[in-house]
Amino acid sequence: MSLVLEGFLTTVALASLCFGAALVLGLVVAVLRIAPVPVLRAAGATYVEVWRNVPLLAWLVLFVFGLPEIGLTFPLFWSAFLAISLYEAAYVCEALRSGVNSVALGQGEAARALGLTFRQSLRHVIVPQAARRVVQPLANIAIALTMATALAGAVGVVELTRAANRVNLEIARPLLVFTGAGLCYLALAGGIALAARSVERRWPAHV
Amino acid sequence: MGRLLLIGLLLVAGCSAAPEPGTSNGPVFRGTVAEGSTVDRIRKRGVLKIGGSQDAPLLSQLDPTTGKLTGFDAELGRLLAQYVLGSPKTELVTATSETREPLLSNGTVDVILQTYTITPARRERVAFAGPYYQSGQAIAVRKGTNGIAKPGDLAGKTVIAGANTPSIAAIRQVAPTAEIVEFGSDPECLAALKQGRGEAYVQDQALLVADASKDAELQLVGEPFTVDPYGIGIKHGDEEFTRFVNDWLREIQKSGLWQETWKKTIGTVVRGEAPAPPAITP
Repeated sequence: MSLVLEGFLTTVALASLCFGAALVLGLVVAVLRIAPVPVLRAAGATYVEVWRNVPLLAWLVLFVFGLPEIGLTFPLFWSAFLAISLYEAAYVCEALRSGVNSVALGQGEAARALGLTFRQSLRHVIVPQAARRVVQPLANIAIALTMATALAGAVGVVELTRAANRVNLEIARPLLVFTGAGLCYLALAGGIALAARSVERRWPAHV
Repeated sequence: MGRLLLIGLLLVAGCSAAPEPGTSNGPVFRGTVAEGSTVDRIRKRGVLKIGGSQDAPLLSQLDPTTGKLTGFDAELGRLLAQYVLGSPKTELVTATSETREPLLSNGTVDVILQTYTITPARRERVAFAGPYYQSGQAIAVRKGTNGIAKPGDLAGKTVIAGANTPSIAAIRQVAPTAEIVEFGSDPECLAALKQGRGEAYVQDQALLVADASKDAELQLVGEPFTVDPYGIGIKHGDEEFTRFVNDWLREIQKSGLWQETWKKTIGTVVRGEAPAPPAITP
């Protein structure tokens, strides 16, 4: 059973590290996509289209088996971390961007009329209003990301699903083992949903 | 989400295998068949449903050019169908280690032929005919690797193994401190070994011999260090059908058909004469 616990902890570590990295990177890409400079906007859009339009499993296989071919070998866990973070950052970017787009156009115009720079208007006008609206979409992404970490099992990371597989190989009771693993994922997703709700409640709307 | 997709793909792929053309000349059961027995049900259906793989070289591999399953397990499946039905009509349902027991217990397949190692734990949930084949786990390394000469040397090393194979339990037994890294298929394991994701690769000897015959970078270390009796999985409690399959196994072993099948498949890469078939345990 210690194997299952280890797998569970690996899943938790992988999911939280990936979400953290995807959040930071997604924020950067989102800023690129709404920047007033066309080149930056194009770079942001390219990032999103490239990463979002190739299946995660394909990215994982490329990172684990492809990178070593060009001389870049990371440990399995970190290969999976890179692939999942880069992939999910595209979704985070889009969630953040739609949050920004939901702020009425006049707000940005008013900020500029007051003489605020691009950075100042983002920080003091746009982001506070957008932030609350993106909590639920981000929680959605966090849950999907947690489930997606199971794919890392296909490229050798012993996370929850792969650990369940190993245990099942020994005791030959798939219904029991995978129902148990499913309940663990359910608990993780439930935790994320609860956290999102409490963030939303504590974060009053700045309207 | 990803898992579901995978399982869905497997199901779609698994159900599409076509019946095999008749090539075998095996024996046919002539005795009386009781109404409602498993044999009776298979005869009424007209096809033997087998749970197995289509990606196991030498054992059960789909040949994409002919759409035919090749290998030792695949041949035995056709011979069993011949025995039950009088013609080698089989249907492959792709099974995995997670789905084997449910596939049997809910009657989706009649037998599992998939390097299914007979273990006491499994005997509590599955009936086994056979063993129909006996193999062992062996160790392969990159050519020029030092320090791995026997199974005990795997201790503390990173060892690559096929996901859901008996190799994992075997490694844990001989070297509990070894770190095991699993990949889904043999080619992935080989790529991982060559890219240095592990120092050794543990796999069924027959498979490793086949790999080494195609790849000069690969080197086998010593002889197999386990004995894995592979059984034919049957629904738990179906003693009548288990006896029936055992009788068939004894017959093809005695007539030399078993040995002939071995030579046509595993014998193409493992040198020497066919081994003595394993004794069938009732």
